[in-house]
Amino acid sequence: MKERFFRPLFFVPALVLLAAFVIYPVVNTVWLSFLSPKGDFVALDNYAKVLSQPEMVDPRGFERGFPYGALIHNFMWLVIHLPLTVLLGLALAVALRRVRGGSIIKSTVFLGMVTPMIVGGIILRFMFDGSIGIVPSIVRLFGGTPHTLTAYPETALLSLILGSLWLWVPFGMVLYSAGLETIPSEVYEAAMIDGASPLSMFFNITFPLLKPITEVVVTMTFLWDLKIFDVVYAATMGGPGGASNVLALQMYFYAFREFNANNAAVVACVLMALTTLVAAPMMIRSAREAR
Amino acid sequence: MFKRILLVACALFLVATCAALAADAKTLTCIGPWSGAEMEAFVPVLQAFEKETGIKVDYRIYRAEDLSAQLPAQFSAKTAPGDVIFMWSWFVAKQGEAGHAMDLTGLIKDSDYLPGSLDGLKVRGKLYGIAYTGKVKPGFWYRKSFFQKHGLTPPTTWDEFTALLDKIAKIPGIKAPIASGNGVGWPLSDVTEHFIATFGGPQLHKELTAGTIAWTDPVVKGIFEGRLVPLLKAKRFGEPVEWTQALELWWQGDYGLYFMGSWITGMVKDPSDLGVFSLPGARGIVFGADYAFVPAYTKHPEEAKKLIQFLATKGQEVQVTKGGHIATYTKVPLDAYPPVDRGVAELLTGRVALADMDDTIGGEFQAAFWDQLKLLWVKPDRYGEVLETLEKKAP
Repeated sequence: MKERFFRPLFFVPALVLLAAFVIYPVVNTVWLSFLSPKGDFVALDNYAKVLSQPEMVDPRGFERGFPYGALIHNFMWLVIHLPLTVLLGLALAVALRRVRGGSIIKSTVFLGMVTPMIVGGIILRFMFDGSIGIVPSIVRLFGGTPHTLTAYPETALLSLILGSLWLWVPFGMVLYSAGLETIPSEVYEAAMIDGASPLSMFFNITFPLLKPITEVVVTMTFLWDLKIFDVVYAATMGGPGGASNVLALQMYFYAFREFNANNAAVVACVLMALTTLVAAPMMIRSAREAR
Repeated sequence: MFKRILLVACALFLVATCAALAADAKTLTCIGPWSGAEMEAFVPVLQAFEKETGIKVDYRIYRAEDLSAQLPAQFSAKTAPGDVIFMWSWFVAKQGEAGHAMDLTGLIKDSDYLPGSLDGLKVRGKLYGIAYTGKVKPGFWYRKSFFQKHGLTPPTTWDEFTALLDKIAKIPGIKAPIASGNGVGWPLSDVTEHFIATFGGPQLHKELTAGTIAWTDPVVKGIFEGRLVPLLKAKRFGEPVEWTQALELWWQGDYGLYFMGSWITGMVKDPSDLGVFSLPGARGIVFGADYAFVPAYTKHPEEAKKLIQFLATKGQEVQVTKGGHIATYTKVPLDAYPPVDRGVAELLTGRVALADMDDTIGGEFQAAFWDQLKLLWVKPDRYGEVLETLEKKAP
């Protein structure tokens, strides 16, 4: 009886912290997005205003090229960065599984993951620099004319997306490596006795058994791509001319350049809605499994 | 048992006394943007203050861009990361208006400063900051030895200027005649402002700053269309390179000219090899001062006032001796300047000193101005779109 009475009390500190540092800021941000800078309730006016800005979606981009607006740029991050992260993470994990010294190579690859994103952004800026960058140096080696790829609207975003692979692919690689260890070797032995080729073993055993890991990698990468900020901030500040701008950076511009908390709250809510859309199925599945 | 308690109590008393004594030896925190060579030139100023007052000063480096994100949140919580903070004038005025910056009215005399240098720090007659030393953005810097070697001379007309660029472009090993400094984007805005002040006159520069003329106005468009864009299209400006790196490349001869502020004289190996010229016909020159303020939440208001007063007056004299800075405090004697800076000061003679446009307007315009010029530099054909965007963000 006593235990039943006191047990809920132990949740109180955690609930208080959660309410103060998560629930209140979230509710307040949503509420702010419906207010004018003067504090009047304006319903969805802020949403209409912000989402029609060229900084968010710029239809002119489809005629003249970059910029397309932060929302479209984030979508490009997802379309290019997400599949490459999954594929490269899986490929590295599988390739380095039985290689001698594989763990050393994995540790080296993992360095990207432990590098602070802001430092990663600065490194990217120098990697693509026309005078001293490694990428233009390779272009020079093959007889091409080196350019600062982050300085041009048509290459800035793509440079950041591809360049940032070394910062996030290690996450997929580590998860897949751990997942591979959980597949019983008997399954492979049985397949080999049945005459299965390595390729068929990969597609019929490895990949299907790694499905839960793939779901985690896809979800986490999706969230990473949506909230990308530091890399862009440090490497290009969203430029040139907004060609590499992303939602989180636009939120920063609204909040700390225009000092417009309401517009910033709108972008935050859009980001929250998109992340919830992806995170919710995973959370529901986890809850079901826990039951 | 009693003895032990007494011992512990004594120990605690000793620790508390030491802590109180340590707290009494007040240390001010001064936040500024300078690092590397620029910091080395600024630290002696703080040392001079320490020597004069006995108050310790701890210097911390924060870029204004980062402070603009941090300070509003800190001020909302009624705290401040420093006692004296260097920041943009528009930001200081805004924070003063909101009650986050200390009122410094009466601390310094207006008449002791270059005309207009304190204007951006005032709101309804109250002064919320001080103007420290300034940097002139006089024009294109060149190495005298480079000009001598290739038989080049500073131009006196626009045609001579374009001819000079043509000559430099033909020198073997040259990447482009003019180096383009990049980073957050201000070096490109400085050169653009120089074109506006030269071909539109100081009045146009002032009107654009005040927002009383549109960026899409035919006069403004004409300057871009007729002067800046043709040079960009002809690759007379190099690809934007991080500005300190551009400085190195220009010094080693990859570029012939570099548009930069007067602080360049404190950043090169041999300042006596430096020469500078403005665009022919320039009637106005941008003079960008550094501004500082005392947050209302400083724990040492009196000491902070002493420091900011020192920076506004005697500190400027110490700073200018290190090179690269021009005092806003008119009582700094001319012989305090190194010879190369005296030459820079001469360039101001007969010309209107203009406030740096993006630093004065600030906010979203500043970020947009920098970013749009980065686009213009690599896509000069899109100047119409750039001007339209600037007009949307202008005050």
